Amino acid sequence: MIDDHSSSPTAGTLSCADAIATLWDYLDGELSPEREAAMRAHLAACGPCLHHHEFERAFLDAVATARTSDPAPPALRSRVIEMLRAQGLLP
Amino acid sequence: MVDASPPADISPEFSQSALDALDDVHRFAWSLARNAADADDLVQETFLRAFRSWRTFLPGSDIRRWLFTICRNAYLRSREREQRYTTLENDEGETMPAVEQRAAWLREGVDVALLRLDLKPAVERALDALQEPFRSAVILVDLEDHSYDDASAILGVPVGTVRSRLFRGRRILQEHLMAFARDAGLPGARHD
Repeated sequence: MIDDHSSSPTAGTLSCADAIATLWDYLDGELSPEREAAMRAHLAACGPCLHHHEFERAFLDAVATARTSDPAPPALRSRVIEMLRAQGLLP
Repeated sequence: MVDASPPADISPEFSQSALDALDDVHRFAWSLARNAADADDLVQETFLRAFRSWRTFLPGSDIRRWLFTICRNAYLRSREREQRYTTLENDEGETMPAVEQRAAWLREGVDVALLRLDLKPAVERALDALQEPFRSAVILVDLEDHSYDDASAILGVPVGTVRSRLFRGRRILQEHLMAFARDAGLPGARHD
């Protein structure tokens, strides 16, 4: 079970269970502005939920290290164009 | 087999904007295939299919998203034998176990691995091992920065399904990374 730390008035209107359940939506920027504000208020007041938040943010940052920004190799671009020309799909 | 349209029949604007997106398609294909040779094949297949069916592209819409859909479908066709996931789609009730698992990692102290270790090699291995349909959802949202709506359009599934696949895929990646942290002998991480 999730401990509820939101009994403190400063924890806002969101329960810990709700905050934890929508943590990834929050980090992905998928919450409505109202819900996002409620989440921010909750995290500012609830240390344990903030710890979960930091964990997930660090995890997503780690996953993002697998991004590549390399452009396609020039030889591949040439092969694609040649192939399309050979198929009569490019002049 | 679809007959090739004569070059003059293909809109130059379409050709140009499609080829302008080649770097993006290549990056997506590489993320899916995880090796250069397969990624190159996937890019060529994507552009061949796109140009053959260029009339199905809606002018003014996002060509990158359209090409990603073609690319992902080509990838799935190339790996049809791995499509064993239909029974894994509905994960109602998964949230609580996921939260409990995360709480356990936090208690163990294994979460500090996320800050202290170079996780890139482990992330790449975990992505290599991640199966469809979770793999595409994670790549689109976490590596390509697409919104859930965009990913929904590319994958051709409801947003709720994107969310479900994404969350399940992330959990699988987390399990890989936490195992890596334990194997790395991180202080505070215990072997069960």
